[in-house]
Amino acid sequence: MSLLELKNVSKIYGDLKALDNVSLHVDQGEWVAIMGPSGSGKSTMMNIIGCMDKPTSGEVLLDGVDISKESSKKLTDIRRDKIGLIFQQFHMVNYLTAVENVMVSQYYHSMPDEEEALEALGRVGLRERARHLPSQLSGGEQQRVCVARALINHPELILADEPTGNLDEANENIVLDLFAQLHKEGTTLIVVTHDPEVADAAQRTIVLEHGKVAREVINENFGK
Amino acid sequence: MTKRRMFLRMITASLLRRRSRMLIALLSIGIGATILAGLVTIYVDVPRQMGAQFRSYGANMLLLPKEGETLNSKSLSEALEAVPKDALVGAAPYRYVRLDMTTRQQSFTAAGTDFSQIVKTSPYFSVDGAYPSETRQVLVGKEIADTIDVKVGSTMELTYQPVQHVSDKTPEESRVPGASLSGKAEGFGGGIVYVTAVLDEEAKIASVSIDASTQTPEYGGRVAEDEGFLNQLVGRSLPLTLGDGVDALTGATVTSSAVVDALNSAAETSAATRPRTQNFTVTGILTTGGEEEGYIFMSLRDMETMTDSDQLDVAELSVSANVEQLESYAAAMTENSRSVQARLVKRVARSEASVLEKLTALVFLVTLVVLLLTMICVSTTMMAVVSERRREIGLRKALGASDSSIRAEFLGEGLFLGLLGGVMGAILGFVFAQVVSVNVFGSSITFQPLLLPAAIIVSMAIAAASCLLPIKRAVAIDPAIVLKGE
Repeated sequence: MSLLELKNVSKIYGDLKALDNVSLHVDQGEWVAIMGPSGSGKSTMMNIIGCMDKPTSGEVLLDGVDISKESSKKLTDIRRDKIGLIFQQFHMVNYLTAVENVMVSQYYHSMPDEEEALEALGRVGLRERARHLPSQLSGGEQQRVCVARALINHPELILADEPTGNLDEANENIVLDLFAQLHKEGTTLIVVTHDPEVADAAQRTIVLEHGKVAREVINENFGK
Repeated sequence: MTKRRMFLRMITASLLRRRSRMLIALLSIGIGATILAGLVTIYVDVPRQMGAQFRSYGANMLLLPKEGETLNSKSLSEALEAVPKDALVGAAPYRYVRLDMTTRQQSFTAAGTDFSQIVKTSPYFSVDGAYPSETRQVLVGKEIADTIDVKVGSTMELTYQPVQHVSDKTPEESRVPGASLSGKAEGFGGGIVYVTAVLDEEAKIASVSIDASTQTPEYGGRVAEDEGFLNQLVGRSLPLTLGDGVDALTGATVTSSAVVDALNSAAETSAATRPRTQNFTVTGILTTGGEEEGYIFMSLRDMETMTDSDQLDVAELSVSANVEQLESYAAAMTENSRSVQARLVKRVARSEASVLEKLTALVFLVTLVVLLLTMICVSTTMMAVVSERRREIGLRKALGASDSSIRAEFLGEGLFLGLLGGVMGAILGFVFAQVVSVNVFGSSITFQPLLLPAAIIVSMAIAAASCLLPIKRAVAIDPAIVLKGE
């Protein structure tokens, strides 16, 4: 069954059609990459899927609910409950330690639980670095904290925006391995990227061009 | 971990780990709170402070005897009970008499007073030398000192003429050196014994003559001729006590006793009319720029000795109070006392009230301006904090923070800053007020325990109010800024 479905979604800024009548669907547990050159509409789509923007027209069904007409307050609730976000710039609260950053996500979602947060950090291999401030962590470590933060509330969908854009090869592989693990556990992953290697790790790649879906590629080699 | 603990952890981390930023915010609110707390302390304390200041302009109330009554130390201290102890700065009694300085053939007005009170009621008195501290010492007004050329350490011989000075009699003539006094007393068997004594210049007995003709010649009658009995009286000052240096003639105890009684009663009755002369040492020259420079000041005790009376002419009161209070004290005194009436020195009391009113208004205005400036300052700082943390706020919203969470977090930080700033303000504000008080008013102030909670509450309220606009900005931040971006 599909977790996410976009039906004839358009987003228009003045004369610019950022998204032009896009339709796509993502199944529960699927790992999808979204690629495309700059200005192809990736970010706009990311904003809409991430409940941070609304389309000009069309329907967006997330877990069966049309989120295209919801109020921003309701969108915040949906984002908090269903989506884990990972960003290119990592974005940690710079005055909180790694574990506290993970706990912030718990705090807004339900209840902060330091033990659980430490476990999540353990999962990304950073248990020993839990008490470090972002400034004391490398870029790769920071991104791994962000992965831990994204998965802490067990979201149905993890939405990653260029997650490896600022990482070196080694850290990129660590993050992709983590994604693979999450995928195995049944988490739905949507990764926006311009890196073909990252896209290749996914089951399916959707290529956007000029606000339209140009093509879809099924990764024959997935899992091999 | 509860949500509340996490909330506090985030807020304290924000303040503690972003020290330099928060220090600026804390400083702005702390300094604001300091100045406010200081000003409020001064504002509250100003009436007292200025009251004390005004007291240096002299007395603001006079106590006078009522018509036909006399004022003395006793009735004065009774009347003073109507004034609260902490409001009464001082009460200086005055007794004015004319004293002659026979060696110069001049007479001056002398005031008997209490120097320990004068220091309080007339702090503007400027003394070259020192105030008299012992008996037979005087403070001489500059005008007199210049006229008769006395200096600190000089001796002045002053004479009190109980009877009104008669103008055609020079002081020299009116002086009675070897005064004599006569008295009588009942002796043995009801017979009267008459005694006349001649006194020397120091009021000691020079010679005694006794008429004891009513007494039995072989017994009491002998007192008139007995050399031993008469000689023991010579050189003594009155009053005498039988058995204390004066022995009764053997076999004539009653008559001897009558002689002593006669002398004592004679001394008593003559005291009121006998001129008294004493030597005084000048301890200081008084400069006031006013009429006091034409007076000689001595202790009340010396004055009582000179005049043999504890009567007072007036008492000057310095009371730290506003006009209404002064009026109520004066009314209470006049009503409650049989012999004393109180009057305000209107000129002093009124001008005090008007100056005080203006000063209070000024401090109030400054307080208001500082309050406004503090709010602008804190608001600007918080605004800068918000724009600096745009990305973090966006992130929090992207992570699912509701608007009210963002509001709560910033308000929480603001209130926490307000709390710290309030504590800082209360303590430093008191120090500030103390410094101002000591330097401007020359007196210290007491710490008002209420200042601490008041400063904290006000400073938290200011912080919260100052955060309203920055919080509005923070809430409006679009969570999408965390995507992509530089």
